[in-house]
Amino acid sequence: MLGVGEKFPSYSVQATVSTDQKKAFKTITDMDYAGMWKVYFFWPKDFTFVCPTEIAAFGKMNRDFQDRDAQILGASTDSEFVHLAWRTHHEDLKNLPFPMLADVKRDLSEQLGILDHKEGVAQRATFIVDPDNVIRFAYVTDLSVGRNPQEVLRVLDALQTDELCPCNWQKGEATLVGA
Amino acid sequence: MQLNELLDTLPGYAKDLKLNLSNLLQQPELTKQQIWGTAVACAVAARNPHLVEAVAAEASNHVSPQIIEAAKGAAAIMGMNNIYYRFQHLTSNQKYATLPARLRMNIIRSHGVDQADFELWCVAVSAINACGTCVDSHEKVVREKGLSEDAILGSVRIAAVVHGLAAVLDGEPVLASEALPV
Repeated sequence: MLGVGEKFPSYSVQATVSTDQKKAFKTITDMDYAGMWKVYFFWPKDFTFVCPTEIAAFGKMNRDFQDRDAQILGASTDSEFVHLAWRTHHEDLKNLPFPMLADVKRDLSEQLGILDHKEGVAQRATFIVDPDNVIRFAYVTDLSVGRNPQEVLRVLDALQTDELCPCNWQKGEATLVGA
Repeated sequence: MQLNELLDTLPGYAKDLKLNLSNLLQQPELTKQQIWGTAVACAVAARNPHLVEAVAAEASNHVSPQIIEAAKGAAAIMGMNNIYYRFQHLTSNQKYATLPARLRMNIIRSHGVDQADFELWCVAVSAINACGTCVDSHEKVVREKGLSEDAILGSVRIAAVVHGLAAVLDGEPVLASEALPV
């Protein structure tokens, strides 16, 4: 599995962005959302039990992530049509404010090293990626255990909090070169 | 209200402050950005709303909106840092200085204006908010970036006068009010 410090893979996939049949699909690649942080979170399968609660939880916190210049991107190996059916069918997912990537070729999951080879689907993995497309946090749980979006937000905050004030510098340390 | 109109409302006892301000806003030691950024940041730090409004309005005649925005940002972030780091130098428990601050302060790098100017405004605000650690560390950075003690003092003088004016403008309307109980 790819880890902290490694570059997030190149990819190009279809994504489901709304339940409106006319505007539901969009191609998304690693070059989109330039300048922003990205929070990719994968789940094994649409229409299963644990997933909607987590996804909806991320959805409710979308504003907190956007405030921190972070774009949430959900993903599974299901097709964009399955995503569309699930979002249409499930009350909590109808107005999801972020895209669901369809990694149908399993290419992205494979490159990330999160494809569960027994099940053939993506593991429950979360990546925080910085504006330079470098992975800064990687977290994966076994198939049946949900994850905590609050924790992901906490980590994002911590990653973005640098002690830029000279008040933190000890005597004898090199000064920070200004931008 | 315009700044000169506001200054005209000042009582006689505050004449020194009025004249000092008018001199300082034209001082040759500092650039326009340094002067007006300092004035805006210090007006915010000094907390009188009329003064903030008047100074910001007058500043917009001399510097870009970006400068004003960044100066307000300096006052905002120092409003936070001045308390946090003042605690550190007030407490005798040295352990606090080794513990992570965990406070976002990205604006210190992302303000988009000249870094030396921004740090100068931070010195001025820290003087108003009385944080010794902040005054020392930002003053050092400003000198390393090439500003002289004269320039720094020019900014601190603005801080001093703006603060004095804010105090007058806070108290005067109350004192002048006829509704004061005896």
